[in-house]
Amino acid sequence: MDVKKLKSRLASVTAVLYPLLFGVVLIALWQSQILHKLLNTTTLILPLPTRILSVIKDNLPAIAADTWATVSVILPGLVLGSIIGYLLAVFATNSPRFGATGLTIIAAISAIPTVALAAVILQWTRDVSTDVDVRSYVMKLIIVTVVSVASMTLNAYRGLTELKPFALDLMKSYAAGKMTVLLKLRMPNSLPYIFTSLKVSVPACVIAALVSEYFAEKITGVGRRIRECILQAQYSTAWAYIVTACVIGIVLFAVLMASEKVVMRRRNS
Amino acid sequence: MAGMLAAAMLVSLAGCNSEGSSSSSGSSSESSSASTSAEDMTDEERIISAAQAGKIGNWGLGNEYEVQALLTKYGQPTDYVSMDFTMDQFDQDVITLASAMTYNELGLVQNDYEGGYGYGDSVGIIDMNDEGVAMLEDMIFCTKTFAKENPNTVRAFVSASLKGWAYACENPEEAAEIVYAAGSSVSSDHQAYMASEVKKLCETDTKGNTVTNYGNIDDEAMQQTLDLAKQYIKLSDSAANEKLQSMTLDDIRDASYLTGELGTPEKTDVSIQLKWLPQAQFMGYYVAEAKGYYDEVGLNVTIIPGGGDIGETTAVNNGTVDFGVTWVANLISANASGMDLVNVAQVYQRSGLVLVYKK
Repeated sequence: MDVKKLKSRLASVTAVLYPLLFGVVLIALWQSQILHKLLNTTTLILPLPTRILSVIKDNLPAIAADTWATVSVILPGLVLGSIIGYLLAVFATNSPRFGATGLTIIAAISAIPTVALAAVILQWTRDVSTDVDVRSYVMKLIIVTVVSVASMTLNAYRGLTELKPFALDLMKSYAAGKMTVLLKLRMPNSLPYIFTSLKVSVPACVIAALVSEYFAEKITGVGRRIRECILQAQYSTAWAYIVTACVIGIVLFAVLMASEKVVMRRRNS
Repeated sequence: MAGMLAAAMLVSLAGCNSEGSSSSSGSSSESSSASTSAEDMTDEERIISAAQAGKIGNWGLGNEYEVQALLTKYGQPTDYVSMDFTMDQFDQDVITLASAMTYNELGLVQNDYEGGYGYGDSVGIIDMNDEGVAMLEDMIFCTKTFAKENPNTVRAFVSASLKGWAYACENPEEAAEIVYAAGSSVSSDHQAYMASEVKKLCETDTKGNTVTNYGNIDDEAMQQTLDLAKQYIKLSDSAANEKLQSMTLDDIRDASYLTGELGTPEKTDVSIQLKWLPQAQFMGYYVAEAKGYYDEVGLNVTIIPGGGDIGETTAVNNGTVDFGVTWVANLISANASGMDLVNVAQVYQRSGLVLVYKK
């Protein structure tokens, strides 16, 4: 018993240790410029970690403002898109005749690249408001929302329909109505699938938000700064924002994993 | 690449919009009530009212400094609305003072050929040169190391290119045809318009005087460009910012390749990276190629079109290409970040940027 416990603890330690070690080695290679020789690049294009950190340190308020501009699009867009996606999945489950066709269309829409989507939505949102801030925000929010709908619909539909054998028959034998089946059987069953969907849509939303900023009329956000800095050959600042974008992605993903653990544990107990 | 694709999409959308007369007539009737007062406004009043309404547009990405200098001149905040690569925002009154290059967007706004909006004389312009905030634009550059190691190549390239520019300015219609044949992205009508406007930028300085020596580096105009760059280029990297603030003309331009005897080129196969898609903005290089001027000086030149998110300063600094065409402000910020670039011929003698408004 103790040996088993020790083994599992060791496994969880190495699970953290190996990626950490890889990261340390990578940064060491980067700082010592061995990485530059391997990639055949210069410190101008790929600035040293110390230089990047010093740019971040010198510009914390500005970077924080841009981070907020990006995150304040990602989170509401993700929530809104996921809710819409889930409702669509419920609709598809309850009316199977529309369901199959609807899901195919949604899967097709999700294949449209964000760059193409952004250009079209920019045209649509011109009349939303005379205020540039509002107009730009709505445009970015719609893009992130659209991106997160499809993954939720497709995953939640599986969660709502792929039930345990005989579970549905059992509910029917209790003379349970459609609504009861949905609330007591289908929705609880879909919970793990919601997390599966979010694991796909969180990184997708981060990227969608960064790209949507390229097209926005208001110049703000982490993605927009990366593009502006690279085009103006300001690579150290561009990398400061690239690191920021990575941190946003990692933090959001970590929060998701932690909440999955808590929710699933509570559900199983 | 992605940006290019989207830009191409938007251009095609713009074409559709201008065809739909219902939308444009709607907007013109709307503005007609205000047009009597708008026509009486001075440029200063126009700039201030547009700035207050948040309706001044620019593309950003290093093209915004002249507009910001203008806004500062009239005591306004330097914020602007980001424009895409069409004039739809101007057409739809989302932006009332829109940035436009005389040779490109202004032509699309005024003319009614394919892709144009057909505003004709119903629009007016505010010229950066007249306002005293002009910064120099298109010029030929390479790295200082390349120039030092291949002085004959640089001299030969500059000499043949400027011969091409001289011919193009004398024969703008023929130059436009040469560019169009070389794979232009826009209509031949627009190329002809562009060539006639670019000619003016090559032959007139910021004060309106005629320039006869093509490619001349006018230190006074260059100094004004550098001074404005120091004031408006905002660099977050403190090391780069220090470098920018201590920069002098000697760090960014070298006029010695404009004159002197031509020798045997050290490197004969060279390439030039353009700042944008093939168009009459770059007619001098296409003419020099077509007329055999590069062959005459013993060079085999490859012209590489730009567009979208291609960074010409990075391409030249990496050694991917030998020469590039960029704006002086772009070279200044690139050098501030640690690149080693030098302007060897100032092709455009004045700013081509204007703010366009509906009268």
